[in-house]
Amino acid sequence: MTPTTARRCLAPLAVVMLVAVGACGSSKKSGGASTTPGGGSQLPATTLSGSGSSFQDAFDEQVFRDFTSDAQKNVTVNYSPTGSGQGQTDLQGGLVDFAGSDSLVKAADVSKFKGALLYVPIVSAPITISYKLSGVTSLTLSASTIAKIFSSKITTWDAPEIKADNPSASLPSTPIVVVHRSDGSGTTANFTKYLTEAAPSDWTLGTDKVVNWASNTIGAAKNTGVAEKISSTDGAIGYVDFSDAKAANLTFASIKNAAGKVVAPTLAGATAAMASAPVTADVTVSPMNAPGTDAYPITSPTYMIVYENQTDHNKGTALKALLEYVLGAGQAKAESLDFAKLPDALLAKAKAQLDKIQIP
Amino acid sequence: MTAVATVPGTTRLGPAAKHRSRAIRNGLATAFITLSFVVVLVPLALVIGYVVSRGHQVFGVAFLTKEIPTPRDPGPGMGPAVLGTLLVTGAATLMAVPLGVLGGVYLSEYGKRGFVARVLRFFAEVMTGVPSIVMGLFVYTAVVLRTHNPNAFAGSLALACLMLPIVIRTTDEMLRLVPSDLREGSVALGSRQARTIVRIVLPAAAPGIVSGALLAVARAAGETAPLLFVIGSAYRTNRSLFNGSNTTLSVQIFNNARSPFLASQQRAWAAALTLIGIVFIFTVLARLVTALYSRRSTAQ
Amino acid sequence: MVADSPPVAHLSDGHRPPGRFADLAFRWVALLAGLSVLVVLALIAFSTTHEAWPAFSKEGIHFFTSKRWDVPGQHFGALAFIAGTLLVSAIALFFAVPVSIGIALFITEVVPRRLRRSIVYVVDLLAAVPSVVYGLWGATVLAPKSTGFYDNVARTFRSVPILHTLLSGQPVSGVSYMTAGVIVALMITPIITSITREVFATVPTSQKEAATALGATRWEMIRGSVFPHSRGGIVGAVLIGLGRAMGETIAVALVVGSATSLTGRLFSPGDTMAAVIANQFGEATDTYRAALVGLGVVLFAITIVIGVIARAFVARADARSAGA
Repeated sequence: MTPTTARRCLAPLAVVMLVAVGACGSSKKSGGASTTPGGGSQLPATTLSGSGSSFQDAFDEQVFRDFTSDAQKNVTVNYSPTGSGQGQTDLQGGLVDFAGSDSLVKAADVSKFKGALLYVPIVSAPITISYKLSGVTSLTLSASTIAKIFSSKITTWDAPEIKADNPSASLPSTPIVVVHRSDGSGTTANFTKYLTEAAPSDWTLGTDKVVNWASNTIGAAKNTGVAEKISSTDGAIGYVDFSDAKAANLTFASIKNAAGKVVAPTLAGATAAMASAPVTADVTVSPMNAPGTDAYPITSPTYMIVYENQTDHNKGTALKALLEYVLGAGQAKAESLDFAKLPDALLAKAKAQLDKIQIP
Repeated sequence: MTAVATVPGTTRLGPAAKHRSRAIRNGLATAFITLSFVVVLVPLALVIGYVVSRGHQVFGVAFLTKEIPTPRDPGPGMGPAVLGTLLVTGAATLMAVPLGVLGGVYLSEYGKRGFVARVLRFFAEVMTGVPSIVMGLFVYTAVVLRTHNPNAFAGSLALACLMLPIVIRTTDEMLRLVPSDLREGSVALGSRQARTIVRIVLPAAAPGIVSGALLAVARAAGETAPLLFVIGSAYRTNRSLFNGSNTTLSVQIFNNARSPFLASQQRAWAAALTLIGIVFIFTVLARLVTALYSRRSTAQ
Repeated sequence: MVADSPPVAHLSDGHRPPGRFADLAFRWVALLAGLSVLVVLALIAFSTTHEAWPAFSKEGIHFFTSKRWDVPGQHFGALAFIAGTLLVSAIALFFAVPVSIGIALFITEVVPRRLRRSIVYVVDLLAAVPSVVYGLWGATVLAPKSTGFYDNVARTFRSVPILHTLLSGQPVSGVSYMTAGVIVALMITPIITSITREVFATVPTSQKEAATALGATRWEMIRGSVFPHSRGGIVGAVLIGLGRAMGETIAVALVVGSATSLTGRLFSPGDTMAAVIANQFGEATDTYRAALVGLGVVLFAITIVIGVIARAFVARADARSAGA
């Protein structure tokens, strides 16, 4: 075979191979549901896909796998942590079965969806104010002080506002280095939302996924980036979600909540915040600056958003089963994954949402 | 002044000072040239060293074949991503390289300095500047939102768009460097243009064209941004190019390297090691094959 | 006398040479392949402009002229990012072009033939590293270690007129235009080196030998035989490298510092258009998302403008040297 002939054969051969690979992958097992000895019928093979919030990713990855291994062996759930906004866009386009989101759909975007939406709150977690200051192992901060620190109005650690929050502590005059997110983030949105509600006169930078921080602050990508910058810079302070801060062994500040009590960022504090905050008609909560006595005021809820009217029988059934698992056995796993499970009243309302799902 | 021919480079063509300054300039130039290589070796060694130091613990055969574990789980496993990278990059290469080489052939052999060719050349250059994330967004809007199907093929399309301008431009440059007497000789012997191009010009420029194609492949294999929104995600191996979401090593590196869990981070860096290895091995093989082929064809 | 169709003979490998139809078909296939670039570009331009339109119509010309990127207040101006993109690309080219040409010369002129292949593989290894790895290494290793270096340089040049502004800035954690530029330089070096090396390899050895025989030193031979032959190729290689530098997304996003500022201080954090899109796209909806896509359109337009300027520049340089 001459080189030319060999080359001529190569292209069609490659095309044939590609088509074969494509065809092989497309055959799916079809068949009805079968029953397992442990009770509960096994659904036929389906793949569910979701995308969105990276805040809930650590929870999702584990719980979705457990769903497959414990409850529905034939259902595979894939989750892509591309960001709440992208998750909503994917759901608008019908590319995913559910969107993970820390924030609600904006009014202007509601009409872009293919149908009515259901919010299912799944877990929550505290957003810690983490810091590194040599010689200072415990710190209390009030909302107004936090607002002034993060808007760069207070620049050294021995400022009078911080002293007022910590009368018995000896604070050095180290300059404060504010660390924030450089990428768009639901954590930023929720943190700034807290500041807007708890310290409206001191916080002037607004609230959104991206905010215009002062030029002498440091931006880092993702919670891990912020955690890393905090732990490597003396005098640094920043906002990091609980599981990342815990994994990086950061020191947390305790916050004075709306009721006047000083609360550390714990899962119990998060659940208390979620329990004391008002629940809207579509089962969404805003636990920022919640009124409860033991509430940790910077708590971030997170949701799975689905369409009320499902279009595919298999997928709809699998999706409902997944949500039931998340609100059932998943809640028990939350604490070991550094997330706070839903308080009982909210959990009941969330489960009631599932009844609204229409499956063809 | 008489030229005393001794050993090249030491001929005295004037006063000793002029000779010395030429020698100095030559020495400086050689030093700079050698230094350039050393300057690039240092960061290369540092980067590779860093990747190895952070990823070697979890690397191994199991790593290359098993499913991707959950973030906290310390086990190895990137099998789906390895296959995903091969699928996505392979399909992109099969689309972009033939198209790009043919396009480069048009620019260099048919279009030359004509208006159409100049416009095409200019826009191929513009296309090299399109950010990879914009390519990804384009495929997301134009393809994925219409087919409702994020899959490996959508990723290949985005990567092919990134590769195409590089292949066209380098093929064009390399073909233009082939001396015209080769073409003229072939035509004088009675060949039509297509035959001249395929039989004479392309083989002569083959090493350069392969270099360009390899650059494009290396880039495509390492790109993350265009794939993020169009291939979905998967922790189980998906052999299908068209059906269902998939994942690649580059996306896994991007997601896991910034995870708070050490296990995920180690897997990310081992994935980086794997990706570098795959691309490098492919490059070496491609260059060897090209060298063998051109040696054989010139020997005939 | 025009020989219209040569006598159809059978060749040594048994094939008949292509007839006129096959020849024409090949030409048309090649043309269509080339046109595919225009088709894809037109689709991208149309699709992205369409998606970005809500932001353009809201901001008008301010999208291009304002340096204010205010997400909560919904004001989107790209000027700071346009400047940032140009700065980072300029820094990258500044470092990459001389080094790449140097390495290419090293491979083709200095290294003995036997070692050539291994050096080529080293450059290939540089190209094999994924962009995200360069970005992560830059953010975790290079940036923190650079703070001291930037401080020293800034202090050294404090009294030099123009340089003292350029070589200054707040390197609080090393992420800056300069760091991003260096990382991008690392990434585009293999591209420029590879193409330039291939170009140098096509210089006819007869020319090089003639120069050496006349008594030229190696450097004089390079200047006299290699460079004149390769100038077009080098320019092409540099332009491809520039394109890559302007379009690099993830690596820059991780090391440029993500600060919206219009400044000439190279050691301060900044942002580029591609990095902003990469960092903020995942969480964006509605007009904000349209504005981010709009940045892509602006980058498109800038690439065209730079391309026109670069071509005009090269054409003038060519004309001048041809007339000389």
